[in-house]
Amino acid sequence: MKELLTPKKLVMRIATAGLVLVAVMFVCSLIGTQSISLKAVLDAVGAPATVSPDYEIFVKVRLPRIFLAAIVGAALACSGVVFQALLRNPLADPYILGISSGAGLGAIIAVMTGFNWTMWGRSPIAVFAFAGALGTVWLVWFIGRLTGKFRVTGLLLAGVVVNAFFSAVIMFLTSIAESQHLYATIFWLMGNMTEEDSLVLWTGAGCVAAGIMALFYISPQLNALSFGEEDARSMGVNTARTRTIAFAVAAFITAITVSLSGLIGFVGLIVPHGVRLVFGPDHRQLIPLSAIIGSVFLVAADTLARIIVAPAQLPVGVITAIIGGPFFLVLLVKYSRRVTWLK
Amino acid sequence: MNKWWWLILIVLCWMAAGFVIFDFPQSQKHSDTTMPSHVSRIVSMAPNLTEILFALGLDDEIAGVTLCSDYPPAATEKTKVGTFWQPNIEAVIAAKPDLVITLGFDLQQNLAERLNRIGYNTLTVNIEKVSQLFEAIGIIAAATDRQDRADELTRGIRKKLNRLAAVVANSEKVRVLWVVQEEPLRVAGRDTFINEMIELAGGENAIGPTIHKYPPIGAEQVIACSPHVIIEPAMEQQDIDGQQHTAMQYWSKFNSLPAVKNRHIYVIDADRVSRLGPRLYEGVETIARCLRPQLFAN
Repeated sequence: MKELLTPKKLVMRIATAGLVLVAVMFVCSLIGTQSISLKAVLDAVGAPATVSPDYEIFVKVRLPRIFLAAIVGAALACSGVVFQALLRNPLADPYILGISSGAGLGAIIAVMTGFNWTMWGRSPIAVFAFAGALGTVWLVWFIGRLTGKFRVTGLLLAGVVVNAFFSAVIMFLTSIAESQHLYATIFWLMGNMTEEDSLVLWTGAGCVAAGIMALFYISPQLNALSFGEEDARSMGVNTARTRTIAFAVAAFITAITVSLSGLIGFVGLIVPHGVRLVFGPDHRQLIPLSAIIGSVFLVAADTLARIIVAPAQLPVGVITAIIGGPFFLVLLVKYSRRVTWLK
Repeated sequence: MNKWWWLILIVLCWMAAGFVIFDFPQSQKHSDTTMPSHVSRIVSMAPNLTEILFALGLDDEIAGVTLCSDYPPAATEKTKVGTFWQPNIEAVIAAKPDLVITLGFDLQQNLAERLNRIGYNTLTVNIEKVSQLFEAIGIIAAATDRQDRADELTRGIRKKLNRLAAVVANSEKVRVLWVVQEEPLRVAGRDTFINEMIELAGGENAIGPTIHKYPPIGAEQVIACSPHVIIEPAMEQQDIDGQQHTAMQYWSKFNSLPAVKNRHIYVIDADRVSRLGPRLYEGVETIARCLRPQLFAN
């Protein structure tokens, strides 16, 4: 059942997935707790003087949120692919090396210091969460290197322990400085999809797209690495350089998603596995397809989160796990006989 | 030039284009929105704000309330715009408000900022202390042109509170333990409006100053603070008698406490005492009845 990946096949698959994404985004933009008519929206485009709720809901609330979900979904899915390949561990997800607790710690420090400014439309919580996420990943990477040159086990253990340690610090800080600000922060971290400023979406999309492109550049080396360190080196791959780039880029785009929307679980774990199960393990195709399907998945999940308990809203993480879990298990049973894990 | 340099160059151009196409985002300030002279569609984002609006006679102007706004009964018939914790911004906009009133919590302030950015008028009030309640009523009244009703409302509440204060003034303060949650045990501390309500009702918080607003406490502290009365706001509005029974059972293990010995354990309607709103006096009176049932016997 091995089929070779030709450039033509790759382009066809990416184009098909892209069309699906556009269709899903279009359909989801018409679904919501408030039914709006596309005609009313289009009528209001030419006449800015009159305020039309349909237009404002569609253009200023729903579309930005859908674009945000698409950006975050793409970044998390790609980052999941890379961490699973680098750590050679099927349980790896974008948050495995301490990003979640580092972001949490950063956000809580921002709240406790009481900063009140905005930088490029981002609140101090978002900026500190970003810095905390990157700082923690660097720390884990550094400790991992001390344990031996790119020993995966050392890196993983360092990640788990740093995660546990920072989580404990977060618990300690929240219990000594109880305030409604901290509760709001924790709520923010649990996944927070809102309509964002256009510039924030624009820059976020730019960074994530560049990151995905960079990962696509090194996908042949990632293929080699998934056979193991020694094999990759014997194939002439500069493993240290590949790992460093992949690691830095994946951590960077994950940290961006954290600062955009908090922590959203499950996307980075199941989308890469799902794509790998259906289309095979070649990273040249895994990275672009995971990005697009991650977007589709999160846009759809977020739309459900918006409407399922109307008029209230659910955190999107609830939906990604409830819908994604069973769906993934079906894929797992159906396709797993055809593939071997991570090879 | 290799592919990596191209990538960096394209990203830089993309960023630059973004800053050219979209304006550099200004930090949102509340002051730059001007209040309309007359408001006719108000959305309230918290149950106690809804109660204030109704108390000010704005029944017809209310265009939307949160799911948990159930008092006065007319509030349940208003359009719902999500919950306090999970507001639905689409529903808020669909209600076509000319004023959205939120509380000062981070989450609500965030909603207010988002609405401001889209171009809606918002009003944020802090209601965490009794004095802030009176201030907030004044602020909302000023924004909705209902000053007369507001004066009448606050005067009425103050008068009733003063009358109650006069009744309980000469008796000794009753030590109250206010239980927020049983497992694990959490109680209301000194820095809460519950504490103020207890004092207005002629009681005193059995728990001394604590770091937390609602401190978790252990059995040792429960015994040490020796409350004369234990009050638990009911978790659910139905079956208060059942909850009263459970509470009696729970506290029977602390049978050395005066409150337990004398069976002064009360489960009360939570809405009256957990929302700082126009029903403040009713809440305080409910507490006062628990502290000194004999005073209210006739």
